[in-house]
Amino acid sequence: MADTVNQATRKGFLVDTSRCIGCRSCQVACKQWNKLEADKTANKGTFENPRDLTPALYNRIKFIEKETDGAISWQFFNERCMHCGDAGCMKVCPSPGALSRTSDGIVVFNKDKCISCKYCVSACPFNIPRYGADDKVSKCHLCTDRINGGMTPACAKACPTETLKYGRRSELIAKATAAKKTLYGVDDLMGLGVVYALEGPPEQYGLPARPSIPLSIFLWKDVIKPLGILGFWSSIGAMLLHYVTIGPKKVDDDLDSREDGHE
Amino acid sequence: MSEYIERFRTSERVLHWVVTASFFTLLLTGLGLYSRLFHGYFGLFGGGMNAIFIHKISGVIFFFSSIYMYLNHKKDVSSFDEDDKLWIDKSGGYLSRDASHFNIGKYNPGQKLFALCIAAATAVLGVTGVIAWLPLYFPRFIVQVSLMMHSLFFIGSIMFVVVHVYLATIGNPGTIEAMLYGNVRKIWAKKHHPKWYKETTEPQ
Repeated sequence: MADTVNQATRKGFLVDTSRCIGCRSCQVACKQWNKLEADKTANKGTFENPRDLTPALYNRIKFIEKETDGAISWQFFNERCMHCGDAGCMKVCPSPGALSRTSDGIVVFNKDKCISCKYCVSACPFNIPRYGADDKVSKCHLCTDRINGGMTPACAKACPTETLKYGRRSELIAKATAAKKTLYGVDDLMGLGVVYALEGPPEQYGLPARPSIPLSIFLWKDVIKPLGILGFWSSIGAMLLHYVTIGPKKVDDDLDSREDGHE
Repeated sequence: MSEYIERFRTSERVLHWVVTASFFTLLLTGLGLYSRLFHGYFGLFGGGMNAIFIHKISGVIFFFSSIYMYLNHKKDVSSFDEDDKLWIDKSGGYLSRDASHFNIGKYNPGQKLFALCIAAATAVLGVTGVIAWLPLYFPRFIVQVSLMMHSLFFIGSIMFVVVHVYLATIGNPGTIEAMLYGNVRKIWAKKHHPKWYKETTEPQ
């Protein structure tokens, strides 16, 4: 069940943050298409709303607000599932089919197969999956239902500034590279399905500079798991070997063997 | 005079089998969580969600019964004397066919070590298990480390248990009786635990 992604045919987004005007049409269109309930939020003195992804919010605009000499400057960042080429969530998911990759390379979820272990929450390099009242995984699935119908994902369709561009990933990257954009996520984690053209260092957007599967998750699934299986069978083998080479310590060895008849 | 002496009281034996039963329930319910290779084991419990539920219940039972068992034997298993050192030097005679004699008390150093390791593993598995149970209430980093530690200490435990089962059954014929009927043959006690045999049979 190795998770492999076809880099040549892979679909995805190119998010050009310099074009974003923070209108949040993407948030609204996503909610509308996916029939997600509104979340009640509180005013915390910022235009950013909601302040975090929720089980009913698959993508949102993160407002990076900077105050210099009393003037506010904004940067906008579309936060969502990155559809990693090497997806931490899929690596740890114990329930086949709960998280899977489409032929377009998109990581989708199936609530019916989800067993609520929440391993994906811990394994995600970007802290994206959310669990709601139904105790099942939810996250952006790039509107696979729309894609399968030949349509553009709802967020990209609604974006008035073409910040969100959907298409063949390799073509989107080629175009952005030709336009001399600084790209984020081209090669990390076997390439992110959502590639960003950022206006500053990734850290400014709260992104890891070199995104990777968390170390303990890597050790758990790629080191301890295989070595553990080997270790278990080795211990069985060692005991059998001991029995046939050195053998058991029989009590009767030292004494006249007597028949006890207790067995 | 009887050929047998009592090694474990009824309450001790019942406690041991509660620990055993919950351990193997944890093993079977946890295998599917350990790797998708063992996904089929979920079928024994009617699916992954049921398996996780039973894993949690049996985890609580295992944690408290195992810790209680350790506390009951704490005095016996946490001190090592000179005779124990001789046993350790010769690996308890398990690496040779030659007859070996050690003046061992109720538990040999291997058994003591097993008890201490399982007690430590119980504590770690219990704490990391609760964190993995409620991952949304702990920092992500803590949950990630817990998931790793949980698998690591599980592996350590199951390997120790394989050795424990071997030595308590076919590796040392006559030993299992102590945990089944509670009584062992006196010649068994004299061979494996002479110091304990002396202490229990000689009038104080």
